[in-house]
Amino acid sequence: MLLLLSLLQLTYILLLAPLAAGILAKIEEVLESKKGPSIFQPYYDISKLFRKESIVPSAASPFFRVAPYITFALYLFLTLVLPIITAFPLTFGPVVDFIGGGLVFGAAAAIKKLAAIDSRSNYSHLGTSRSASIGALSEPIMLLIFIMLGVLSHTNNPYVINNILQTSQTWYLSLIHWFVSAAFFMVLIVETGKLPIESHGFGELGMIGQAMEMEYSGAELALYKWGSYMKHFLLMNVFMNVFVFPFFVPMQLNVAAIFWYMFINFLKIFLLLIVFALLEETVSKYRLFKIFDFVAVSFVFAFLAALVFYTTSSIGGM
Amino acid sequence: MHSLDSIYLLLGFVEIALVIFIQWQLYTINIIRTFSIGSFLMAAFFLVAGLVSKEVYILTLAFLTAVARGWFIPRFLVKTLKRETWREREVKPVLGVASSIIGSLLFAILGYLIYSLALQPYMSTNLAAVPIALMLQGAFLIISRSNTIAQLIGYLVMENAMYMFGYIFPELPFIVEAGIVLDVLGIVMISGIIIRLREDSLQNGDSEFNELRG
Repeated sequence: MLLLLSLLQLTYILLLAPLAAGILAKIEEVLESKKGPSIFQPYYDISKLFRKESIVPSAASPFFRVAPYITFALYLFLTLVLPIITAFPLTFGPVVDFIGGGLVFGAAAAIKKLAAIDSRSNYSHLGTSRSASIGALSEPIMLLIFIMLGVLSHTNNPYVINNILQTSQTWYLSLIHWFVSAAFFMVLIVETGKLPIESHGFGELGMIGQAMEMEYSGAELALYKWGSYMKHFLLMNVFMNVFVFPFFVPMQLNVAAIFWYMFINFLKIFLLLIVFALLEETVSKYRLFKIFDFVAVSFVFAFLAALVFYTTSSIGGM
Repeated sequence: MHSLDSIYLLLGFVEIALVIFIQWQLYTINIIRTFSIGSFLMAAFFLVAGLVSKEVYILTLAFLTAVARGWFIPRFLVKTLKRETWREREVKPVLGVASSIIGSLLFAILGYLIYSLALQPYMSTNLAAVPIALMLQGAFLIISRSNTIAQLIGYLVMENAMYMFGYIFPELPFIVEAGIVLDVLGIVMISGIIIRLREDSLQNGDSEFNELRG
């Protein structure tokens, strides 16, 4: 049964991740009083790319072609171990904790960077160096966030954290939790390349993620795109299911509840997409060196959570 | 924990986060507005405290805070800006923005350490950690900026911290608390006049004093 639910979760992410990207694009266009593309546009793009021929730079090594398959597999693995449609661990749930999940995310990003360097394209190198210098600061923050969640729950398991926040009103309302959530939201913006950090066009000035996949085409590009939709969808799910709104996630094995929750979950993601769309339509892009100020503020939030913990804990109220 | 104490800590940490936000911003108008929001929050806290304890003098303090710090001082500072308000910003901060944000955090931690080493044994609650941290952060805001208005806001943040500190000692007489609220007014008015006079006398010529322009 658990295995079946794992497969269900895998299909859910695989199928709906592009839809979330399509909906975000549509909301943004509607906010700009335009008609916008169909919400199924990402599916059309992916299926078109799968039918196209792949071109590989002559200087690249065989690793260049393998990298998209490896990163896609890593994201598939992550869909099996995070609390997406259930709040109890599925078959592969106990394999990794939060830090392990973070490492797998990091591994996928590192492989993507290596492949981008391997393409020997100047643009890819530019994107890699930008992404590496931002990642070097944002990933320790992610670690700090997980440590603070560990303080909250005495564990690093996302399922346990979800259960604790779902059941304990004290922790859910505590300032520690909300500071950590604010920090995670800022890191989420960095990781998913939303607007104050990254603008989505082919302007050289703002390129980070797109520059890295510049030399890819055909099926490999399709996998990269699909993989990054999945990554964004997973991170948004972690943000909503573990941090901000851990409620309604089924804690007991009940197939009907899980099916219902799949709709509720997508509704949660939809609300987050509206927030992202509003953000993307209202703020302008930071200059590259300003991104570090943004990352510094998110670090401060994660650290303030620790300060709150020390200030409030010894009084005995928590 | 007493529920008012919880609200006090909540307010304190929101104020700390607001100071960090001020440290992040280079546009003067954002700095002034953030300070105004912080002051209104403080007034709201005193309003709640006054309603809970049914003391008229705390309610008066809430009213004075809202009027003097939330409304009048920010408005007065905006009026002293000479150019269009949205344009006014600090061109070259003394310290880089990212490092000054981290610096502000370190001062907050230092504040907590000072409190826990020196005061904690004598206190029944941890409330005092917050104003000490806030005070050090305000001082850091002053030394990390060369823009006069940002420095003035840093001073006001320190004053706010003092004011919050006053709440911990409930026996403090009304005249002292009201004095803390109102003595800033004079300082801000005089600084505003000096800022204006200096700008008028330095109208032409790019001198090094331009850095200090408010």
